[in-house]
Amino acid sequence: VVSTQSTASFKNHEMDPFLLKKIPKDTVSRLEEFALYLRESKKERRSYVSVVKTVNVFRDLICTADWVTARELIKIIKCYCKYLPLSQSNETDVSNVVRRILKIIREENAGPEATNLADGISAFFKSDMKPSNLGRSDLQDNILNSIVELLVELDTSKSNIINMALEHIHSNERILTYGHSNTIRDFLLHGRRARDFEVIVCESGPSLQGHRMAAELSAGGIKTTVIADSAAFAIIHAVNKVIIGTHTIMADGALRAANGVHQLAMAAKYFSVPVIVCAALYKLSPTHLCSYDPDAFNKVIGPENMLNFSNAKLHSKVLISNPDFDYVPSDLIELFITNTGGHAPSYLYRIISELYHPDDYDLDNMCVETVEDEL
Amino acid sequence: MMCVSMENFIKHIKLQITKSSPDLTESEAREELLEACEDFFKENIYLAGKSITEKAVNRIVNGDTILIFKKSQLILHILLEAKAQNKEFKVVVVDSRPDLSGVSSCERLTAAGIPCSYVYINSSTYIMKKVTKVMLAADALLANGYVLGPVGTAMMGLIANTYNKPVIVCCETYKFCERVQTDSILYNELADPDSMLKTLNAEESPVAGWRESPNTRLVNLVYDTTPPALVSIVITEIAELPCSSAPVVLRRGAVKM
Repeated sequence: VVSTQSTASFKNHEMDPFLLKKIPKDTVSRLEEFALYLRESKKERRSYVSVVKTVNVFRDLICTADWVTARELIKIIKCYCKYLPLSQSNETDVSNVVRRILKIIREENAGPEATNLADGISAFFKSDMKPSNLGRSDLQDNILNSIVELLVELDTSKSNIINMALEHIHSNERILTYGHSNTIRDFLLHGRRARDFEVIVCESGPSLQGHRMAAELSAGGIKTTVIADSAAFAIIHAVNKVIIGTHTIMADGALRAANGVHQLAMAAKYFSVPVIVCAALYKLSPTHLCSYDPDAFNKVIGPENMLNFSNAKLHSKVLISNPDFDYVPSDLIELFITNTGGHAPSYLYRIISELYHPDDYDLDNMCVETVEDEL
Repeated sequence: MMCVSMENFIKHIKLQITKSSPDLTESEAREELLEACEDFFKENIYLAGKSITEKAVNRIVNGDTILIFKKSQLILHILLEAKAQNKEFKVVVVDSRPDLSGVSSCERLTAAGIPCSYVYINSSTYIMKKVTKVMLAADALLANGYVLGPVGTAMMGLIANTYNKPVIVCCETYKFCERVQTDSILYNELADPDSMLKTLNAEESPVAGWRESPNTRLVNLVYDTTPPALVSIVITEIAELPCSSAPVVLRRGAVKM
């Protein structure tokens, strides 16, 4: 059993002294508390809750830290990020929100002439980090206002997604879903209000989250059928569409989703059944798959749900693998439904260039801006 | 509702009954029939199994990682025979709920000293890269080349094809049948749905009360059909054939009779 908590994250148990100089004592305790909260990552933790917590912690940091220019502020934030256990694969939504905040800071600093990389490659050569005309308090006010807008966006992201349910579900359809997702459950229940359709849920072994989903859907009045994951190929030709949630969306439109989604998407492709992914944009990460290695991309968890530990003889002789995530390549996915609307996987690169700044893609990289450093 | 191999055996016995001479006494006729049953078993199951094993073991080379799906007597026999011939190979056992018969496959393989890995079918894309061959067992071979196997076989065939691994199906000729099918739903069996509620930890499944709820159903399919495009080769005791040769074997069997 590989514990990802023991690896990169807590090699610095102490905060960087540079950071400790810049923030007051009571903020330090709140920052440490947040790091602890991330470290004790629980499977059932909702990504929305941790994302809102992140924004509040960083808002606190922005207000209380000692900085004058935006460049200093970004340095402080990146220093704190090195202290957080963000390298754990569970925390991509937290990293994404931090990147959004950094982008907000850069934009407010540049003022109305802010470069938008979506406008083209010449934007790479303009600097956003020239010292602003605004003093700290004005800059801070602007940043905090934008952060409030970010919070509103996060708050309404789920309702924006589920309001699109009626555009994608029609009557007497059969929809296939996999395992448990809060977004998908609410999406389907919202569709149920106006349409009559059936849902088939794959169990999603070995955690069997699909059973929980089926219970919730049928309590909401949807006719639900539970099938074993092995039966997905057998029934998929009789299904109209596959609607799934995901843990993370990678930069090229691929997914890091629950274990077993890749084979479901492959079966759907074979029978030309569209695969629709519903996810909020804070799950969109500007990272690519670099390796299939469990330490780099996946996470292998304990096999007690696969084979009882009482069968110790077999456990000692057989290598049992229980990966937590699955990599689903983008060519298997038809549509992404996000809080900003429906997008094809090929369009996500534009959204990433609008949401994040390239210097923030790697949060371990302490450089604030590559442009100025090279000039 | 019976599986194909049982149906074929019963057809064979009925044919023996019609062929049996009316001059025999009852006990003699019974003896003759019992001998016919023994012959069927010896020829079509025991000797066929040996012949298939011989052909299949030739395809296993040192350094192979072979993927098998759940439990099949024939496939286990092939792997144990290959080990007895001192071939060095590893096995990945892919298992699926609710019956989890792959566990007993693991037990038999580790008892023979073959290094084993064990995954659920959900993780089959995760391990497929390291596999060199996929060996699957069939419950029947249909006349249009589709392979009827335990549910999940088709998924293994699809994933193996995507990662360009050869799919070897081992099937005795008595399992060939004239039926044609293009999907898995039209003709299938449903096993006990309550077996899907079994969890390995002590917690009860959230759908445990499914019979009381009008909206919930549990469906536990037994078989599924694998399209012939996903299968590389079928090893039978007569020859090693592509899936499309299934009707040729059936015709040959009919001519023999």
